[in-house]
Amino acid sequence: MPPPPDINQYKEIARRYGIAAAPESVSRLTQLVARQDSCVDDIVRVIEKDPGLSARLLRVANPRAADESEYTIGTVDEALLRNGIGCALLLAMGTPLSLALTKTFQTMLSLKLESVDLHQLDTLTGLHMLGSIGFAGKVAGHVYLRLSSASATAIAASILGLPPEELGTDEIRDAAGELLNIMTGNFKSNLCDAGLDCKLQPPQVGMTDDFSTPIEPGGGLERLAFRADKIEIFVEVSANPWSD
Amino acid sequence: MAIKILSVDDSRTIRLIVGKAFRPYHVTIVEAANGEEGLAAAAREKPDLIILDVTMPVMDGVTMLTKLKEDPALKAIPVIMLTAESGRENVLQIARLGVRDYLVKPFKEDQLIEKAGRCVTLEKRPAAAPV
Repeated sequence: MPPPPDINQYKEIARRYGIAAAPESVSRLTQLVARQDSCVDDIVRVIEKDPGLSARLLRVANPRAADESEYTIGTVDEALLRNGIGCALLLAMGTPLSLALTKTFQTMLSLKLESVDLHQLDTLTGLHMLGSIGFAGKVAGHVYLRLSSASATAIAASILGLPPEELGTDEIRDAAGELLNIMTGNFKSNLCDAGLDCKLQPPQVGMTDDFSTPIEPGGGLERLAFRADKIEIFVEVSANPWSD
Repeated sequence: MAIKILSVDDSRTIRLIVGKAFRPYHVTIVEAANGEEGLAAAAREKPDLIILDVTMPVMDGVTMLTKLKEDPALKAIPVIMLTAESGRENVLQIARLGVRDYLVKPFKEDQLIEKAGRCVTLEKRPAAAPV
């Protein structure tokens, strides 16, 4: 096993270059999930310290509830005991993606992207854009980005500062691919820092009418939905953190 | 004389954003889509600054940076990494190879200009006259 990178040296370089670290709770949770012998109490403590993570776990643990008033599982402890470590796995995988996507929208498109419940968005129908990036190593899986042609065009126009009518198919696909690339690059950095070394494969972007998402053997699937103005985005991650 | 900047990224979107960011300045942008093309462009164009991605097909940014630093004719060209990869090992490896700065995607054009301005002197073009 390679020696761990020099943390103090990294902190000094990160400070010099202005590189922001992932939130401590997300890093800690990923580290705990990466170990197969982690105790549930340790995972509960990390999640309970972060209101955002707690809210997402309870949302995942109460899939049929329309809102919090309908939750039958009301605590982090209960959610993990009833649903197992799989819930924490979904949080550990989905949270860095969600953070990277919202940050990308805020930074490069000046748009506030909101994370919303899946049922709050209209379901995509028919032909739509699908981007995917695979990752392989100590953790293996795929990240998928689904969006309508209208949303993909609006994103490309906003990133490039060009009117939608001036954009060709290649520009729109490339912008969607870069969005996926940025999101997954941040996600991968978080996994590697938690000890789950992996490499990214090149992004694939195309049109499809197939809505089935393959689930990584031995892993789980997390579906996330986002909205900003008229743009609607669906992100899916399928991963097995113990692939080796 | 215009400053020459080499933008090496497999994403056309990023190359367009880099070009747009430097449009108000006396800057000539040269583009390459991977490390191999980037090395050839660096040798041919002798840029004043290189803006380099990490994950690219054919030859990645770390390999290009390694080869650049091994070449006596090119090793003094300042390099700014522009990448979504900010993992500890990646950052340490790249810092040890010798880069002037590191910008993590997503980024604002202002951040790129600020970091580039620390490596080369950027002169603004005169504002276009209103039509």
